[in-house]
Amino acid sequence: MEKTIVDFVKVLRTAEVKVSPAETLDVMAAIEFVGYEDRLLFKNTLSMLLAKNPEEKETFETCFEKFFTFDDVMKAPVSGGSPDESQDSDAFEDENAGNNPQGQPGGKGSGQGGGQGSAADAEDPEDDDQATPAPTSALGQLLLQGTRSDLMVSMAEAGRAVEVNQIVVFTQKGLYTRKIMDQMGLKGLQEEISQRQEAADRGEQRLAGKLKRARDQLRDQVRDYVEKQFFLHADEHGKQLREELLKKVKLSNLEKRNHKDVQEIVFKMAKKLVSIHSKRRKTHKRGQLDIRKTLRHNMQYDGIFFDLKWKSVKVDRPKVMCICDVSGSVSNYSRFLLMFLYSLAEIIPKVRSFAFSSDLGEVTRLFQNSNLEDAMAKTMRDYGNGSTDYGQMFEDFKRNCMDDVDNKTTIIILGDARNNHGDPKSEILREMYEKSKRVIWLNPEPRSNWLVGDAEMKKYSPNCHQTEVCNSLTHLERVVSNLLKYAA
Amino acid sequence: MPDALLARAAHQKPDASLNPFKRGSPLTLERDEHLATIEAIHSGLAGLNYISNKQIATAVFLAYHLDKPVLIEGPPGVGKTELAKSVANMLDITCIRLQCYEGLDESKAIYEWKYGKQLLYTQVLKETLGEILDGAKGLTESVAKLHEFGDVFFSEEFLEPRPLMKALKEEAGCVLLIDEVDKSDHEFESLLLEMLSDYQLSIPEIGTIKANPDRKPLVFLTSNNTREISDALKRRCLHLYIPFPDADLESQIVQARVPEVPAELRRQLVTFIQALREMDLKKVPAISETIDWAKALILLHTESLDAELVKQTLNVILKFQEDIESVTGEVQMLTNKALKSS
Repeated sequence: MEKTIVDFVKVLRTAEVKVSPAETLDVMAAIEFVGYEDRLLFKNTLSMLLAKNPEEKETFETCFEKFFTFDDVMKAPVSGGSPDESQDSDAFEDENAGNNPQGQPGGKGSGQGGGQGSAADAEDPEDDDQATPAPTSALGQLLLQGTRSDLMVSMAEAGRAVEVNQIVVFTQKGLYTRKIMDQMGLKGLQEEISQRQEAADRGEQRLAGKLKRARDQLRDQVRDYVEKQFFLHADEHGKQLREELLKKVKLSNLEKRNHKDVQEIVFKMAKKLVSIHSKRRKTHKRGQLDIRKTLRHNMQYDGIFFDLKWKSVKVDRPKVMCICDVSGSVSNYSRFLLMFLYSLAEIIPKVRSFAFSSDLGEVTRLFQNSNLEDAMAKTMRDYGNGSTDYGQMFEDFKRNCMDDVDNKTTIIILGDARNNHGDPKSEILREMYEKSKRVIWLNPEPRSNWLVGDAEMKKYSPNCHQTEVCNSLTHLERVVSNLLKYAA
Repeated sequence: MPDALLARAAHQKPDASLNPFKRGSPLTLERDEHLATIEAIHSGLAGLNYISNKQIATAVFLAYHLDKPVLIEGPPGVGKTELAKSVANMLDITCIRLQCYEGLDESKAIYEWKYGKQLLYTQVLKETLGEILDGAKGLTESVAKLHEFGDVFFSEEFLEPRPLMKALKEEAGCVLLIDEVDKSDHEFESLLLEMLSDYQLSIPEIGTIKANPDRKPLVFLTSNNTREISDALKRRCLHLYIPFPDADLESQIVQARVPEVPAELRRQLVTFIQALREMDLKKVPAISETIDWAKALILLHTESLDAELVKQTLNVILKFQEDIESVTGEVQMLTNKALKSS
């Protein structure tokens, strides 16, 4: 059972529930008390020890149901049942004799019902000289005489031996089904069936037919089992691969159908950043006595000052102004930058966003009040057409918002700086540079293109604290993370 | 020899912890009985008018048997704090409560030196200093003589224990309730770690203070999820999420808490509240609001809900004007629905 728990923990980890080894140990200790008998109790216990926030609880729920459910397999009737003229005790002994000497070839686990190998065919059906035939291959016996749970255990053991949890793609289903069947002793069964079919005795032939039916049913069950394992192990794995890929792909190459996935990733990244940066730091102004606090604190010591309190300042959350180019070529980047910033509302509550292609407009309200898709669509409609004019943008900014810029403001400008040979008005950027805490320019084009054609980066970059290439989610994450780190 | 064996057996904790009745000395039997099975916990809590569900009872059971703190999360007003208090009541032990807030630090949570007392004593003892140092020649000898007295001023007599330390020193065991951990600072969370995993606290001047190994405090932490609790803390805890109860459970709770409510009205008001929770509100009513409302309705001698009455008492269950306004329009419909269901 320990092995099973470990397997289950592995499944949880692939499903992005963080489980530490210590927690796995806790589960083992807890099971000593609660046992396995009561399924609900078992589940509650595991849920309490392994899933530690509401989202994880939900994931846990689905994983648990998938992992620990064999109901539908149990329900499927194994046709044939016991042999017609059953010699139960005899057959039982037979089965035990057949099972005991064989170990699992993989050497893994030692379940009570497991342990069939192709070695079973050493017992030749020919020396079966009883009048009423009983299946002799181990798998045959299991199919016709064993209980369903024995069969299940055997299947799970075989699955573990062939490492079905390594399954990666859907097309491997057939392969693993066959592997498990082999592992369970299909070869012995096949031989027995063909031998019995050739035999003249009618009883033998009937048994062969029965075995055949049981075998086909078993194959269906195994396929079902493999499918479940696939969803358990590989599905999440594939998703992770896809996410990694999407993080690196150029945002402008993203297709519309991927937007939903990307949005999910952005939220996930944002959440990570929130948890890293949610701690509000304090810096002490060394050497500045906080008289008020010291007086209050030292009252208990008869007013003798021996525990001094120093002035400290809370590190402020960054105040961000985000100016996004939403003309055709760059709009996709703006979309995700804004998405990122608004997912971080918890730690950067003061985001003001502006959109432009030629005229600048504030879209803060739009993003706060409606969902991202709508807000983005509206922004595009209102500001997206017209040729890019950075000079106009800077002028608008100066007219409307320059007064709001203070030494705590970080200004992020996202755009390719392609100004259609208009007046760049870099002196306004200079002014912003001097007034604000930081000006960060994010440019989706590679650095080598920054000076080519009508790009004005040459004039703009000296007036920025930082210029970055930014064309994938990974870049975005880095930029935002830095933004939070240096917010002091 | 047998003594030595016994001593060794006492040290083998892992073995002892496998035995559900490890605290089997006669004095503790009663406590163990309350916590021996999940059903016992459930009925014990029900006896104190705290209606638990299976998960809650399991959490208490595991907390006791695994010596692990329980981190309770859930929306406000579902009975997180109440659970800790009820468990303390059930076991008839003290409940020590530490309310967390921003700026809570170790001098308020763990211990503080009684500076005033220390000062006073030094003043008083100034005179006797001469006697102590009597006969000592030179500085070295005097200092050596003073050292013989040890760190009297930093002994437990001068220590002001705060909730966490009090809980450890409680010989008979206790329930320690650390309320709303999410309100405290990050630093404080790290401060809790030693306490939560080993049931001990280190004080530089004195050493380590440990809980009575047979009577470790039962620790409950509650959180309203205003911020994510750190993984290190979560790892050490059992995590219990208490959601809003379903209609059945809520009805039982109301019955336990406000037994005067007739069955008919109870069903109506529970249906009404459950319907409210489905709506898009700023703050949906929790169990505590249901109970308050039931009490209010009893005071008003209500037999059955009607729209006018509901409108007048909405402020008991809804705490935002915005919510009250948006619900007022729906009251007639909701009331009818509640009446029909009963």
